[in-house]
Amino acid sequence: MIPHLFKLIWNKKKSHALLIVEIWASFLVLFGLATLIVINVGNYREPLGFTYENVWAIGLRNNQDTVSIADKQQRILQRLKAYPEVESVSRMSGNFPFSANQMNNGIEYNKRKAHPDFYVTDEDFAKVLDIPMTAGSWYRNVDSVGKYKPIVINKKLKEALFSDENPLGKVLSDKFRVVGVVDKFKAKGEFMSDKPAIFELVKVNETWNDTMLMRVKPGTDAVFEAKIVKDIASMVTGWSVEVDYLADSRKNQHNLVLVPVIIALVVCTFLLINVALGLFGVLNLSIAKRRGEIGLRRAMGATGSGISTQFIGEIWVLATFAMLIGLLFAIQFPLLNVFDVKAGVYVTAIIIAVLIIYAIVTLCALFPSRQAALIQPAVALHEE
Amino acid sequence: MLLNYIKIAWKVLLRHPFYTFITLFGISLTLTVLMVLTSFLDHLLGTHYPEVRRDRSLYIMQMDMRDSSQTSRSSGPMSFKFLTDFVKTLKTPERVTICTFVNSSNAYVGSQKIKLNTKFTDADFWYVNGFEFLEGKPYNEQNIANGDYVAVITDDLKKQYFEGTESAVGREIEVENIRYRVIGVVRSGPITRPFSYSDIYFPYTTPKSNYQRSGMRGGYVCIILAKNKSDFAAIQEEFQGRIDRIPLPGVEDGFKYGVVNVGCQPYAENFIGTILGESSNLNAIFFGVVTFIMLMLMGLPAINLVNINVSRIMERASEIGIRKAFGAPVKTLVWQFIVENIFITFIGGAIALVFASVIIHLINESGWIAYADLTINLNVFLVSLLVCLVFGLLSGVLPALRMSKLNIAEALKS
Repeated sequence: MIPHLFKLIWNKKKSHALLIVEIWASFLVLFGLATLIVINVGNYREPLGFTYENVWAIGLRNNQDTVSIADKQQRILQRLKAYPEVESVSRMSGNFPFSANQMNNGIEYNKRKAHPDFYVTDEDFAKVLDIPMTAGSWYRNVDSVGKYKPIVINKKLKEALFSDENPLGKVLSDKFRVVGVVDKFKAKGEFMSDKPAIFELVKVNETWNDTMLMRVKPGTDAVFEAKIVKDIASMVTGWSVEVDYLADSRKNQHNLVLVPVIIALVVCTFLLINVALGLFGVLNLSIAKRRGEIGLRRAMGATGSGISTQFIGEIWVLATFAMLIGLLFAIQFPLLNVFDVKAGVYVTAIIIAVLIIYAIVTLCALFPSRQAALIQPAVALHEE
Repeated sequence: MLLNYIKIAWKVLLRHPFYTFITLFGISLTLTVLMVLTSFLDHLLGTHYPEVRRDRSLYIMQMDMRDSSQTSRSSGPMSFKFLTDFVKTLKTPERVTICTFVNSSNAYVGSQKIKLNTKFTDADFWYVNGFEFLEGKPYNEQNIANGDYVAVITDDLKKQYFEGTESAVGREIEVENIRYRVIGVVRSGPITRPFSYSDIYFPYTTPKSNYQRSGMRGGYVCIILAKNKSDFAAIQEEFQGRIDRIPLPGVEDGFKYGVVNVGCQPYAENFIGTILGESSNLNAIFFGVVTFIMLMLMGLPAINLVNINVSRIMERASEIGIRKAFGAPVKTLVWQFIVENIFITFIGGAIALVFASVIIHLINESGWIAYADLTINLNVFLVSLLVCLVFGLLSGVLPALRMSKLNIAEALKS
């Protein structure tokens, strides 16, 4: 059956060439779109690793004030902790969750290298963001005695540097000692991929780490916010104070990812509708042209469903041929590893694109082939 | 004659509404996507309110410092002092303005929180940018020299902070415990123009602007207004001459640098450079992929159109046969099909124009970009119409040419 269909198509290769090009191009467009969506859905399904509701980030800047900054920061921290509306407070670097800032650095263990995100935080960080530990415990100020700085790493970094070894107590780059492991920390929101991360204990005199993360009691509103801004401003004159709600920042981060995907989705949908309509029209016309052939087959004893199967089979062979060419292009992405995406993502995307193309061509062929099956041999042959 | 052709085309269109729909759908889809996309690019890069002199402005956004071995790198905006010494004193430009990039802050009215974008500028900022003042006036050199606590706000902030008041000029606004006197209200610009966008503008001598910083790096950027476009090369050369005189190597905030680069470019180049960063290898791949996607976007509807037309031309075989039998030359026949194709392309173009205006209107209204002012670019519309015309001609005329050379007997037989 299939070799026969192939011969039928080969006989009309000139008029089919355009159809093949069209299906090939749609396949590539679909492949691109599916890759984009598979990557993002894959990321979205992995948990964040922390909670952000009712957490505020307070950015402090000392501006032209240069006198005993560390001391003032400590006083602000203590003052924030004293409010009854505040559950817990932590001081950290400027790359707080969902912020636009990023910090990363190379690190090494036993000749294995990694390039994790660095978060400089104090001992209450895990408490404020509610991060569960998978091994060891979060560092405490008393851990910083001795030569090494205590750090906590995430699972991704543990896999990159230690694989099966127990990381607790190991020393990285000759200056950090691992005291704990957390599962995930996707600081840029659900759509971020799970990247290696390191949490490092902040020192009191590192005054550039000037963001306060604060978990407030549910229901706390802008009146309290205005109050703390006023209080801080009167404690330290000349400083800038800025309050962000993590829930708002998260929305911004999501929009950065979602808006381009939605635009691509809308444009591709219209393109595919366009292609489907065109395909439908072409198939309709070609069946009208082949009435004689269909009549002859019916007269020789072919059933109606046999005729429909032939037309759908033909378009399937055509689509397969076009997609094989498309696959030659698509397979280059995982082979050359162009965008640092896992091969599995491309494979899933290819499978999705193939299925959608088959669905579209089948839908487009269904109505014309049904029409073809209804042709009466006597009428068709009479016309000839 | 022309009228006759158009009449025939109209009848052909009506004969098979379904195929007409497919053809028009393809043409208008391609044109709509193209027009919306280019109008968005124009919105990002073109010369619009409030940067009405962008076409003759050069932008200095960041200083790029590297160590002598080119392994580590540090880049960002510059200090007020550096820009004053190196840019403000240039001889060739008409005017130079120094301002901060967008900073953010909060203000509180009762239990309401207002998220603010703030900007510290010099007085020339109001000359280089063409803000429309709804009330009051900008601050001048005198205000700056006195260190007055004054501010210019946007109409949007006025609506939020001074709800229901007639005039905001002369009233006080409190931001982070400092009270500023409002001296002007301007019409807001969109957030996609970060050099001019803000909710509230302060003179750089007000507190928290950090203009006193002594190093080369800080929080300030710069717009250079040239007398006209042809001065760009001269300004860039003069500026580069100054950059070359920076003593190397040096130390800034603990970073030892051996190479200092400061770009001074028209807006579009500056924008593309910022997005793509440095590595030229990744650039090539990125551009390759984008070109490919664009090609697909344009190509798919075109292939579709060609496909339909090639399949449908057989329908017209008898018509062509009869016309040939009555002595119509090949040239006349081809001319007829050209007119037909132009006609249908124009219909598609008209539909696309309506679609694109609706989409652009929706984008402007949706608040997706605050104060977006996207417009349809007429040039873009004409170019995309031309592209569609080429597709239409390719798809309609080539088969027609083949048909018109058909044997009369052969054509009439069907």
